[in-house]
Amino acid sequence: MKCGVRFCGGCNPRYDRREALNQIESQFKDIDFVNAAEGVPHDLLLVIGGCSNCCASYEQFDTGAGVLKMWDKTHIDKILDDIQKRK
Amino acid sequence: MLMTGAQYIESLRKLKTRVYMFGEEIENWVDHPIIRPSINCVAMTYDLAQDPEYADLMTAKSNLTGETVNRFSHLHQSTDDLRKKVKMQRLLGQKTGSCFQRCVGMDAFNAVFSTTFETDKKYGTNYHENFKNFLMEVQKNDWVVDGAMTDPKGDRGLAPHAQKDKDLFVHIVERRDDGIVVSGAKAHQTGSINSHWHIIMPTQSMREEDKDFAVSFACPSDIEGMYMIYGRQSCDTRKLEEGAEIDLGNAKFGGQEALVVFDNVFIPNKYIFQAGEYDFAGMMVERFAGYHRQSYGGCKVGVGDVVIGAAALAAEYNGAQKASHVKDKLIEMTHLNETLYCCGIACSAEGWQTEAGNYQIDLLLANVCKQNITRFPYEIVRLAEDIAGGLMVTMPSEKDFKSDLKVGRNGETIGEICNKFFQASPACTTEERMRVLRLLENLCLGAAAVGYRTESMHGAGSPQAQRIMISRQGNIEGKKALAKAIAGIK
Repeated sequence: MKCGVRFCGGCNPRYDRREALNQIESQFKDIDFVNAAEGVPHDLLLVIGGCSNCCASYEQFDTGAGVLKMWDKTHIDKILDDIQKRK
Repeated sequence: MLMTGAQYIESLRKLKTRVYMFGEEIENWVDHPIIRPSINCVAMTYDLAQDPEYADLMTAKSNLTGETVNRFSHLHQSTDDLRKKVKMQRLLGQKTGSCFQRCVGMDAFNAVFSTTFETDKKYGTNYHENFKNFLMEVQKNDWVVDGAMTDPKGDRGLAPHAQKDKDLFVHIVERRDDGIVVSGAKAHQTGSINSHWHIIMPTQSMREEDKDFAVSFACPSDIEGMYMIYGRQSCDTRKLEEGAEIDLGNAKFGGQEALVVFDNVFIPNKYIFQAGEYDFAGMMVERFAGYHRQSYGGCKVGVGDVVIGAAALAAEYNGAQKASHVKDKLIEMTHLNETLYCCGIACSAEGWQTEAGNYQIDLLLANVCKQNITRFPYEIVRLAEDIAGGLMVTMPSEKDFKSDLKVGRNGETIGEICNKFFQASPACTTEERMRVLRLLENLCLGAAAVGYRTESMHGAGSPQAQRIMISRQGNIEGKKALAKAIAGIK
């Protein structure tokens, strides 16, 4: 499974977005987390915002199983559950 | 093609830009210790565009070519683009603690794009097509372009044509079939030396008698007849000292301003965007100034984030972080800084689409934004200095802290004495304390204060310029009508 990752631009993130991704990645050795790219099919898209505005653009990316969004480190557990359900 | 920071720096080496400093020509200005920190700042605008963690703010899809371009060369296509511009600027202020210089070009692109469209509509000129072609070159090559507006202006009581020395405003000295020849200068030019190209715009509204001064064009920074004289900054020669890396406060990044002189420079027709249409000079100025007043609601906020962080660290290193007045001062600094950000976001969210199709900020809110910028950074640095304590301006040099010279009765060195008497909380080493205090010195009254303080006052227009715009846009008559309706006045 390939999961495209799109970060917001990080103007004033309230937590470490990269560290959050590292935590998520570490739970799914069988999922390939890649930087989301246009014209490339992704099974799933993970949008990681730095604050509740979660302003990252992601409409330009293709995704099969939908989009998951997080904007707070407390969302990590829910993201783990959601990914598990869509595997 | 998006360049990396390293590729950008190498691209500068190919330019033959004429640069003068301290009365001498600087041959290798790319590696000059006084200039290089400002180049490092611009390089950050390239490096962050390559990083997936920041690409959403740092890049955009060009409406002209469909290609991904650096947002600094983008025409805003929505209010979302306007908001992302402000966020990008905050990000860069945070990463550099300095003025990163590339905003003036972006603001010029958007102002010239819409103004040339409306000029052509009235006069049947070809300036908009000229500009679009130029901007596509900029986007394709990922160039830095200096947007140059401010003329030296000479006697402020006289119009451009009435100046004793006409060169005090950039003007057309000759019109040819294939172009124009211009003469004059632009003062306080941020990042001019670090730019591949320049866009020149008029400095103020013009009347018919000033039509030769209503001129806008693009030219490469190393065009024949053009040269730059570097503006010095507070504490600038510390950058020339050996063993003063800590004393600099911010050794890697800095801002840059210069006087840019046009000594009879020929501009081909295809790079001309205004040449005598004096009734559109004011529009270009107002639109550029509007964008630039919005910009400060991002860049100064990012630098403010660094000031607040440094003040909080200084409090911690002094062992004073639990004092209620210190906590309250940090809250006040944050409140002021986020208020500025609110202004930058608000004038973006209330933006509107021009006839040319790109988006313009709300002028009233952008001027309110900049008016606050002329005040709040001063209060933020006042509070930072209050928290830091006097040591930020009285501390011995890095050389003293590292000196082996024995001076004490028991053979203690200068370095040991300095470390003994300037130690504070166990939360930090004396060197760490020294570093954060020097950073605060840099931001509050050193080289970076050029950008954070005085540029906040006068950049994008001095305070009175905003008050005039607020007066024009404020709709006092409408407010009087509201009061009359509620008070029952017919």
